[in-house]
Amino acid sequence: MNTATNTPTPGRFDAIVVGGGPAGLAAAYTLAAGGAHVVVIERGDWPGSKNMMGGLIFSQPTAQVIPEFWKEAPLERHVTRREMWLTTGESVLKAAYESTDFGAEPYNSFTVYRSRFDKWLAEQARAKGAVIITETLVEDLLMEGNRVVGVRTGRPQGDLEADVVILAEGVNPFLAEKAGLSRGLKAESLAIAVKEVLALPREKVEDRFNLEEGTGAAYEIVGEITNGIPGTGFIYTNRDTVSIGVGVILKDMVDRAGEAYALLERFKAQPQVRRLIQGASPREYSAHLIPEGGYRGMPKLYGNGVLVVGDAAGMVNAAFTEGANLALLSGRMAAQTVLKARDCGSFEALTLSHYGELLKKSVIMKDLKTFEKMTPFLSSHPHFFSIYPELASAVVKELLTVDSLSKADKMHLIIKLVKSQRPTRKYLKDLYDGWRAFS
Amino acid sequence: MSDEERDVEQNAGTGSRHDRLPIDNRDWTAPKHSVTAQLGLVKFKPDEDAHLSVKNKSVCRDTCRRKFCTHTCPAQVYRWEEEEKTITIAFEGCLECGTCRSGGCPYDNIEMRYPRGGFGLQYRFG
Repeated sequence: MNTATNTPTPGRFDAIVVGGGPAGLAAAYTLAAGGAHVVVIERGDWPGSKNMMGGLIFSQPTAQVIPEFWKEAPLERHVTRREMWLTTGESVLKAAYESTDFGAEPYNSFTVYRSRFDKWLAEQARAKGAVIITETLVEDLLMEGNRVVGVRTGRPQGDLEADVVILAEGVNPFLAEKAGLSRGLKAESLAIAVKEVLALPREKVEDRFNLEEGTGAAYEIVGEITNGIPGTGFIYTNRDTVSIGVGVILKDMVDRAGEAYALLERFKAQPQVRRLIQGASPREYSAHLIPEGGYRGMPKLYGNGVLVVGDAAGMVNAAFTEGANLALLSGRMAAQTVLKARDCGSFEALTLSHYGELLKKSVIMKDLKTFEKMTPFLSSHPHFFSIYPELASAVVKELLTVDSLSKADKMHLIIKLVKSQRPTRKYLKDLYDGWRAFS
Repeated sequence: MSDEERDVEQNAGTGSRHDRLPIDNRDWTAPKHSVTAQLGLVKFKPDEDAHLSVKNKSVCRDTCRRKFCTHTCPAQVYRWEEEEKTITIAFEGCLECGTCRSGGCPYDNIEMRYPRGGFGLQYRFG
C-alpha cells in the first residue's frame, strides 16, 4: 500500500474525519501537523454551526492540542469561581470555590460559544494543512469486506476514500452503528439538555455574579429544579450573556413523560435564579443529548480502517461536566495512532488498537472507569435529587433559625426530622450503594 | 405517593429501551409550556423533504396513550392532533438532538436522519 506519497490525488486522503467538533478537529489538527493529508467533512455551514454544550472548556487538555490557545481563541470568560447549589423550592444551600490561580495563565476553564470556538478550531486545523469540507453530510461508510475504506457523502460523485476514517460524528452515532461498532444509544445512558443564552449588559453580568472584569462563574445546581428527575441545572457567565440550562437523564424523563423545557422554566423561576437573569433578553434556545453511559456505555473504539472519538465514543465525564476536553484528547490520540499506523503501512484493527492503549493509559479512561456506575446509580436513587437536598436545607434552616428552642432541643428535632424522612436502614443502604458505585 | 412517583417505582430497574417500556396508563395532555417563542430565536434552513418520520402510525394512534414524543422532544416538533388522531411533524424546527431516536419515543417508532448537508439548524452561539 502506498501511503507515503506526498502528492495525493484529489478524492484520495490519508484520513477522513467525519464531523467538525472538538474531537474531529483535534484529530485533523494533529494529523495535518504530522504531515498527513486529512479532510474533515462537516454537515453544517461551518464547523460549530450544529454544535452546542453548556459552555465550559478546560484549559490544560485544550492546551495539549493547541498550546496557549487562550491568546487567540474566541473565549468568553475565564472561570475563577465554581459553585454547587442544592435547591429546594424556596431555599439554596451553596458550596463555592474561588481562586485567583484560576485567573492567571494557564487558567483552569473558560466559557465559550461552541458555534464560534469550533469555527476557530477548524481555522487552526486548516492552517496546518487540513482540508475542511462543509455543508456535506456523510451518509454511509464505504466497506471492503469488514474494512472501512472511505465514506459516501450526500454530494453527487461524493465518494471519498482514505486509509482510515475517524468517526467524530457526535452523540448520535449513525455511522458507528452502521460499522457495527455501536449498538445504538439507550435512554438510560443519555441525558437531554436544553439551554438558553440570555443577553445582559457586561456590567450587569459582573455585578450580579460578583465578578472582576473578564472573570467568570460557573454554577451547577441540584435539587427541586429537576422535579425529582435525576439531573442538574447550570448557569455559566459569558461576556454579555448568561447560559442557563437543565440536563436530566432521558430514561427518567421519558418514564414520567417529563419535559426538559418545562424544567428549565421552573429553574428560571426559582427566586435565587430569577434575580440573576431578571430583565435579560433571550438570544438562543438549544438542545443536545449527552452520552453519560461512561465506561460501560462506550462502543468499540476501533475496527479495520476506522476509529471512534469524542461524543460518538461516549467520552463524557458527567460527574465533572467534562466532555469537550475528553473529545479533544481522544481526537489527538486517534491522530497519533493514525500517524503511527502510517509509518508501518497498516490500518488494521490490530494496528489501530494502539488508540485503545493510549486511552487506557490516559486520564480519560481512568476517570470514566471511576465513574462507570454513576449514571445507573443516580437513576436508581432518584431521591438523591429530592429528599437529600430537602433534608440538607431543612437541617441548615433549623440550625440558623433563632427561636425559643434550645440548641439541644434543635438537635433532637433535627434527628427526628432525619428519621421521619427515611428509615435508618435506607440511609445505610444509600451509603453502602454510594460507596459501591464509586469504589 | 403521587401517581408520578408510583410510575417511577414500577419502572425501577435497568434494561434496554427495547425490553422495558415506561408505564403508559394515562392519556395525552398538552405540553405544560410552549417553546414557540424559544424556537423563534433559532436560525433554521429547512430542507424541502422531511428528515423525520413516524414508522407506523397505528402505534401512535392505538398503542401509545401518553404520546411521549409530544413531551420529550425539546423542540415540540411532534404534535398530537386529537381530532385527526395523528402525530404531525414540524421537522423544519428540529434541533437535531436525536432524542426521538434514542428513547424519546419509547416505542422506537420514529425514524430520524440528519437533514441534508447545509440544511437544518444553525446555532449562532451554541
